[in-house]
Amino acid sequence: MRLRKLCYVAVLAGSMQACIKDAPINPEADIETFTFDKSQMASDVFIDQANGAIMLYLTPDAYEKGIAPRLTLSAGATVTPASGDSLRFNTADTHQYVVTSANGLNKKTYKVEVVNIGVWKWDFEKWMLNAKDKYQYVINDDSTVFWSSGNPGIALSGVPKDPKEYPLRATTEAYHGAYAAEMVTRKGTALSNLVGIKLFAGSLFLGVFESKNALFEPLKATQFGQPYIGQPLRFTGYYKYTPGANYQDKSGTIIPGMIDSCSIYAVLYTGSSRLDATNIHNSDRIIGTAYLPDGSARENWTRFDIPFVLKRQVSSKEKLMMAIVASSSKDGDSYKGAIGSRLVLDNLEIVHQ
Amino acid sequence: MNIKMKGLLAALLLTAGQLSAQQNDKEKTDFTPHLEHRIMAGFNFGATAPVGLPNTIRKINSYWPEFSPSLGYELGYRITPKWGASLGVKLDYKGMGTKDQVQYFSTIITTEDGGTFAGQFTGKNKTTVRNAYVVFPLSATFAPSNKWRFQLGGYAAWLFSSNFYGSVSDGYIRNGGPTGEKVMIDHATFDFGTDVRKFDIGLQGGALRKVGNKLEVMGNLNWGLRPVFANEFKGLDFPLYNIYLTLGVAYKI
Repeated sequence: MRLRKLCYVAVLAGSMQACIKDAPINPEADIETFTFDKSQMASDVFIDQANGAIMLYLTPDAYEKGIAPRLTLSAGATVTPASGDSLRFNTADTHQYVVTSANGLNKKTYKVEVVNIGVWKWDFEKWMLNAKDKYQYVINDDSTVFWSSGNPGIALSGVPKDPKEYPLRATTEAYHGAYAAEMVTRKGTALSNLVGIKLFAGSLFLGVFESKNALFEPLKATQFGQPYIGQPLRFTGYYKYTPGANYQDKSGTIIPGMIDSCSIYAVLYTGSSRLDATNIHNSDRIIGTAYLPDGSARENWTRFDIPFVLKRQVSSKEKLMMAIVASSSKDGDSYKGAIGSRLVLDNLEIVHQ
Repeated sequence: MNIKMKGLLAALLLTAGQLSAQQNDKEKTDFTPHLEHRIMAGFNFGATAPVGLPNTIRKINSYWPEFSPSLGYELGYRITPKWGASLGVKLDYKGMGTKDQVQYFSTIITTEDGGTFAGQFTGKNKTTVRNAYVVFPLSATFAPSNKWRFQLGGYAAWLFSSNFYGSVSDGYIRNGGPTGEKVMIDHATFDFGTDVRKFDIGLQGGALRKVGNKLEVMGNLNWGLRPVFANEFKGLDFPLYNIYLTLGVAYKI
């Protein structure tokens, strides 16, 4: 009897396996890669999957002549216009791609944004709201996205969908104009605690956020730098800083006597692919740096004017990238700092030769 | 649900009563209705599982029963030589573990600090379940011979300890749904233990076979009819039920 019962169990277990249904038809509608001749790029293409944008950094020549990109998509998906069709930028036309998933149910639209490297001066006046996760991000006067932050990563940790819950946001407490960028170090969420993250520092940086690395290799999600032409002399701006009350280490333990500090710096490096939080301080591609020497408290608006320290002269032929990184907790990349540390930043500029 | 349960119990009692009444008419022997007491001990084998696998589950790589003892007492009332009813109280652990592969698996995780994360996961999953219940089974019993007794009925169960946890790995989650951005997942854990419902109700039935003077071997299938998570819970987008087979022994006292 017992044996027979066991047989039934075996049959039951076996039949569970046999119950596996046909695979669902692919519901995904990504543009996975977007490629054209590397000689036409000032920097690598960035596909912003969270905000549906393809960001192009073109050489003047490519801008004039247009490009014919090759696209790869989620398996079975289709796209219009087709992969290989030409895109021209010397007209007023805007470009977008619409991808339809293999199951026909989902469409994803990608805007093509040609990021022009214009004036290296920012007042942080124009802010946008991410539709799905409700975090703010700053845009240039021509509406292109030049700056990024940790906000898209923090959106994955289950924070309430409210701009004030994210550590980077706009504030009306501006040095100049209506808005400035405010970074406030906040505590981790119930979900981030599960992976040992007890604190999120506020950050703002020139570059892009690669969501796909956000959980697996978070230091590689923050991709620092945008294409740069010329030779920088000084990095200037205005800031205010108030450290939070209690400095905590990665485990969340308060360290008595320790006071948080902010970090603000610019890094010039060679090449067209971005550095990230793992190598922005020590890559051998770095040509010059401008670090705020003292990140301690500043109650009132304080001007900084930091000369670039260059290791070598810049060749006129090489491709260059410039990163600017600011954080309300200097060691926020290793999840250390004080909750409530607040950095406000306005009127940044890279002064060229 | 409560009404359903009461209905079920009433139906069982009624059936047992009617059957016994019929029996009474036929057999006029020296049989006197009597009580029977049994201590029952065994192990539960089975699964907290969907009835029919959703197509988001692509492959079951492994399954194992968790250590799931069952211990209880049953009061039986033999109304006729063949028919009777029984009511029990037992402590039941129902547990299992599984490793599987999923594709576009929808999940919404709500946390106590007011946050939510919704997404679709593709990759590997490992889940361990071990829930403990105080169970009250009620059955109609039928004993065609001295050796066998069959029972069929329902049960009501109250949860007193719950574990429902696991990990996802080697895959990716899409933030918000199929068109959201892809986020690679190396390893992440989840724990839905506190979301397990406090009350379960279901059908149960099985058999006892006499193997000694007072000893019987027992097999009983318990099939939960109430999803183990409430409808508001969206960690999984399909219902799971407790489906467990108890194998063990009964000792007449």
